[in-house]
Amino acid sequence: MQRWLGVTLSLIGVVAILWLGLTGRLELYIHPRYVVFTVVMAVIGGLASIAAFLVLPTRSEHGHDHGHDHDHDELAEGPPRTGWRAAIAIAGSALLVLATVVALLVLPPATLSSATAENRDIAGSTALSSVDTTELVGGDSTTFTVKDWATLLHQGLGDDFFAGKPAAFSGFLVPTDDPDIVYVARFLVTCCAVDAQPLAVPVLYPGWRDDFAADDWVEVTGGFVPNPDAAATEPIVLMPETFDEIERPAQPYVY
Amino acid sequence: MSTTHPTTLPTRRGASPARYVIAGVVLVAGMALLRVFAPGDVELGDIAQDFVTLSLAVIIESIPFVFLGIGLAVVVQVWVPERVILRVLPRNPILRRMVLSLLGVLLPVCECGNVPLSRGLVMRGLTVPEAMTFLVAAPIVNPVTIITTYQAFGFDDGILIARVVGGFAIANLVGWLFSKSPDPDALLTRSFSATCKRAQDHAHDGHSGRWRRSVENFSAETTAMMPALLVGSAVAGLIQVAISRDVLVTLGSNPVISVFVLMLLAFVISVCSNVDAFFVLALGSTFLPGAIVAFLLFGPVIDIKMLALMRTTYSARTLALLNLVVGLGAATIGLAINLA
Repeated sequence: MQRWLGVTLSLIGVVAILWLGLTGRLELYIHPRYVVFTVVMAVIGGLASIAAFLVLPTRSEHGHDHGHDHDHDELAEGPPRTGWRAAIAIAGSALLVLATVVALLVLPPATLSSATAENRDIAGSTALSSVDTTELVGGDSTTFTVKDWATLLHQGLGDDFFAGKPAAFSGFLVPTDDPDIVYVARFLVTCCAVDAQPLAVPVLYPGWRDDFAADDWVEVTGGFVPNPDAAATEPIVLMPETFDEIERPAQPYVY
Repeated sequence: MSTTHPTTLPTRRGASPARYVIAGVVLVAGMALLRVFAPGDVELGDIAQDFVTLSLAVIIESIPFVFLGIGLAVVVQVWVPERVILRVLPRNPILRRMVLSLLGVLLPVCECGNVPLSRGLVMRGLTVPEAMTFLVAAPIVNPVTIITTYQAFGFDDGILIARVVGGFAIANLVGWLFSKSPDPDALLTRSFSATCKRAQDHAHDGHSGRWRRSVENFSAETTAMMPALLVGSAVAGLIQVAISRDVLVTLGSNPVISVFVLMLLAFVISVCSNVDAFFVLALGSTFLPGAIVAFLLFGPVIDIKMLALMRTTYSARTLALLNLVVGLGAATIGLAINLA
């Protein structure tokens, strides 16, 4: 049984990757620069796994020494086990295959939620020193993304910089401590969703919870104003002109 | 692909191999149908959903590198003549390990691909300390990592130099320490040790076709690697949703504590060495350069996913010692930079 485990798990992964790739959703998990590489390696791994079906039924069995303890070797390709150890090994493998099938083949793909955004210090320490803001300063402000605005807001530029710069961007809603302010956020992904950093623009919208819920995706337009609550951590907030719910975009992350 | 040859058992129950391939194709088709027709609106809670998403991200990010690593290991084991590998390496053990720690320049695989590759090198006759030197050095001393670290930091604060030189030094220290082990085979798990013996017994056995051995190795290595990768990714995803990252990040400005905080973060986050420089850069400017160097030295070798993968090959004691040496090395270099 054990000898089929690797190719079975590989095939589950390969099918999941190819399906995500074909439906354009690999970017929910990994940076776009890896998409081609991932799909190509999945095809190669899938072909090798299928080829293994030709070879495995007749694979050589010798060299499997018996009679030593292997209580900690479950993960490795172990010698054939006997009695209850064999039963546990098979049950463990079956459970692993089942969990992998559920996670990769049954559950619908999803983006990270506002819960993770809050867990990851959405408020501030994301310094984004890697972003070159010089090209932003003179650019067309209506094309700026959440990432661009979050970067500029974090630079501590004064009100006069933001005055008269119209904004239009989309993101998902993350609650703040202040009931009048909601974050419109995006995750910044450098490699895969594990390293996603939340970036957010604070939007002044008293009573937003009456109309929306956390994790809703919205398209916002408006302009930046000083925060009416001078004691707040966010000195500058967006005063929305329009604030409309949208479908989750095909590329929910920024890079 | 013959069904009867001297080193294998005859096909059991008389089933022809073609029938198994058809079974494999049917299995894949079944998986594809399940994926396509799975319900699209399963609602998990936020936390459970993010746990699944984060684990899947690690799995999907790593699978291609694991396949690539296994592919290179198969090439090394089956297609490159043994004497070629052993002849080009210097005889002096210290020089030999130094050369091996530069092998990552030729084989720029991410660290998860290096585990199967280092297994292949051991099966091909390299000693365990030599393979370990490669495993520790390759994720850092390789062109992709060097370029991304340069893009992220330039030559600021000596971060790039400290990373490359430090990674090289720690790897050779690890190799030297483990070479003092009286019984290098004891560094390995028993099952991998047995696999190596088997591989060396077969080294001169020319009966099996190369393609056949390649496929056999592929399936054996995926059986070792995939469960470890899946379990390691699940644990990494679980810890991500369980630990609030704010807590770690706010500790970043103390010259001593920040070094250990970022090493802990590197352990938890399991991000690939090729891009970890961008990650730590995006994380915040509050971290001191020494802490960043410690992150960049420790993370590529030791993290949750890597421990799960390396556990397929090395005994728990070996990994504890490796952890200690790399941790002390990274912390020493990090603290030296911060306090200098």
